[in-house]
Amino acid sequence: MDYLYHILVIALIYVIFASSLNLELGYAGLYNFGHVAFFAIGAYTSALLSLAGFSPAASMAIAVLCSAASGALLAVPALRLSGDYFGIATLAFGELARLFALNERWLTKGPMGLPGIPRPLGIEAGISGIPVYFFFTVTITAAVLLILRKTTMSPFGRALKVVREDEFVARAFGKNVFSLKVRAVAMGSLFAGLAGALYAHFVTYISPYDFSLNETILVLLCVVLGGKGTLSGPVLGAFVIILFQELLRFLPIPTDWGRFVSPIQGMIYGAVLVILMLKRPEGIIPEHRT
Amino acid sequence: MLTIENVTKSFGGLSAVCGVSLQLGKTPITGLVGPNGSGKTTLFHMITGFYSVDKGRVFLEDREITNLKPHLISRMGLLRTFQHTRVLPFLSTLENLIAAAPLQRGESLVQLFLRPGAVRKDERKNAQKAREVLDTIKLQPLAGELAGRLSYGQQRLLELGRILMADPRVIMLDEPTAGINPSLVRDLVRVIRGLTGVGIQVFLIEHNMPLVMELCDRVLVMDAGGLIFEGSPHEAVKDKAVIEAYLGKARDASKS
Amino acid sequence: MSGYYLQLMTNGIIAGAVYALFAVGLTLVYGVFRFINFAHGELIAWGAYLTLAFSALIPFGAAIFPAVALTVLIALTQERYVYAPLRKKTGITLLIASIGLSYFLRNGLRLLWGSDLQSFGFEAARGLVFFGITVSRTQIAMFLAAVIFLGFVWGLLRFTMLGKGLRAAADSLELAEIVGIDMKKIRRAVWIISAVFAASGGILIAIDTNLEPMMGIANLLKAFAAVLLGGAGNVWGALLGGLFIGIAENLGVAFFSPGYKDAISFALIIAILLFKPTGIFAIMKGMR
Repeated sequence: MDYLYHILVIALIYVIFASSLNLELGYAGLYNFGHVAFFAIGAYTSALLSLAGFSPAASMAIAVLCSAASGALLAVPALRLSGDYFGIATLAFGELARLFALNERWLTKGPMGLPGIPRPLGIEAGISGIPVYFFFTVTITAAVLLILRKTTMSPFGRALKVVREDEFVARAFGKNVFSLKVRAVAMGSLFAGLAGALYAHFVTYISPYDFSLNETILVLLCVVLGGKGTLSGPVLGAFVIILFQELLRFLPIPTDWGRFVSPIQGMIYGAVLVILMLKRPEGIIPEHRT
Repeated sequence: MLTIENVTKSFGGLSAVCGVSLQLGKTPITGLVGPNGSGKTTLFHMITGFYSVDKGRVFLEDREITNLKPHLISRMGLLRTFQHTRVLPFLSTLENLIAAAPLQRGESLVQLFLRPGAVRKDERKNAQKAREVLDTIKLQPLAGELAGRLSYGQQRLLELGRILMADPRVIMLDEPTAGINPSLVRDLVRVIRGLTGVGIQVFLIEHNMPLVMELCDRVLVMDAGGLIFEGSPHEAVKDKAVIEAYLGKARDASKS
Repeated sequence: MSGYYLQLMTNGIIAGAVYALFAVGLTLVYGVFRFINFAHGELIAWGAYLTLAFSALIPFGAAIFPAVALTVLIALTQERYVYAPLRKKTGITLLIASIGLSYFLRNGLRLLWGSDLQSFGFEAARGLVFFGITVSRTQIAMFLAAVIFLGFVWGLLRFTMLGKGLRAAADSLELAEIVGIDMKKIRRAVWIISAVFAASGGILIAIDTNLEPMMGIANLLKAFAAVLLGGAGNVWGALLGGLFIGIAENLGVAFFSPGYKDAISFALIIAILLFKPTGIFAIMKGMR
């Protein structure tokens, strides 16, 4: 039962993480392949602050603001680049962030990671605290989704879509394209940081290996599979992917073959991405009626 | 109302527009004609901020708008269409119109979350205006239709509608009737005439000479990046330089 | 002290020669297909791992051939079933598909050979010493192989009909088609050349160091930085770019932590894209 809560918490964290990427990718049309960097910034900032003595709740709040600020800072130069190149540059940034976490041991303890991260609101550490953390996460996720709903189903959301579809038209009708894009990235980074902070306080131990290309591909898959440009798409995608991932562990696989699970999983994810692009790039929940 | 002083633009070594000066506002509808490649669309881009100006200045009323960003120029009331239709295909006709409304309160995140009531009111106002514009351009039956499904001519009408949403003072249209069947051309002409009725200046690029004769009180002719004639359409077709420009192109075309 | 830097430079040039191989292959693909092939890295890795597999059955020298041939087959299969059908769609769809393909191939590698470091098992031979600089036999082989391959491409581009076709296609795909150049042949040639380069380079690197599943993507990002340095689509630029990256990496470790060695490429990618996207070594437009 506890394990079910565990899976659900991870799924909800990915709901927030994927929804945040969806705001940038699905609504604004910005292919930010370095999005995991803000997940990491949120996680590490919150972890370090709370380990230094700040209350976990305050640490999370500050971490969220830090992620948003970093996102805005990155966006300003990066948004000069067009689609493909923006993707590559952000990917390179994501990798740089991981290398930073790995090498700056004085700050992040490098590959050893940060253990013993305290839980917020007096939630107990370890397994006993999981059910309460679940309810904590549900509340936060619901709030995030409500905020995102209001944001996307608004003139702001509509303006983002105009920018995504046709920047010239956006400009010809008075929309400040740059400002809209920066705000989209800042908000996306904010929620990615929130997801990261939730993650850090949940698993109570993080290391640079938690924030690699694998996570980038995982969250991309959630958005693209579920349906980019919709509210429910990333939610569906996150649940499908995370449940798939966790349920694989339950399959009765003889220990000899245990080492095959991860690569096969990876192959499935890669194949799904390719097949989606070939057959159904809009994902399960399409944005437009046809 | 719109003044252009000696603007010049080159790409690499190629001069696209060379020392063009003009002033709009003397008549309601001004036409810009000239052979292909004479720099008309480039001039449009330079005026509206989509291309930079190498030399020269552009003024809207008395304010200088040279090299301002396009969205700022648009907010000052100078609106344009492009050579090819650019409706947003996955939004409905009505949504295309609402999206074009200027200075929407709800585009600011601060306003959206702190003053939701004001945002809602603004939205309602814009939706109402959109329905009125839909009336004017006579596309009401297609209000909910995806704009991508409209015919080319209907899309061009929709683009005019979008401009109406944006409270224009000067409108620049790039070949608005190209490729459109005659009945829809009539509708376009009607809408354009209606615009001048409320004091809006129209500046349009056109290749359809009979239409230019009918619609424009004044015509400017460009050739090879420069302005070679300014006057009434009737004088234009008799002007030696103009005839030479068009004939010259025809001669070159038949040679190769 | 200068002997130390000279050694680092030498290491850098040799490593750079192999990076140049990867970069030239990648830039050929970009020049003709106009997209960034993420799965290119996996051709590097698969070339090495397939050689490992075959060398268990036949002598190492012979194992290289089927390994490279199979890698070429992988590249052609990618083209046939994924990239060709997606060519008409937006650039981002292709990018995501290539990311997915790369992930698929990388994990295929892990499935078949595991995630641990592997090695070809050659003993570390004693290096030869020239003027105080030590060069191992492997490094000499790497350098020579790179030079031979690159010389081959140069000759191809300069003197053969295919080469002229490649240059035309890189300049303008549409015009090349109109003029009647057989695009199918060009496309196939590009995949074959870039796959052969990738696989060979991968084998050379694996001889010098070892094999691990991430070797593909690690080298891909370096190759990509080199491509950007030279201007995307520019073969000579890619070559110089590869050399530059090799030298920069090896000299760089004298100044900062070796953990950041890979960071040079990432930082370069970001810097070039932001400040000089047309490339620094872009000698002439297009392939020359």
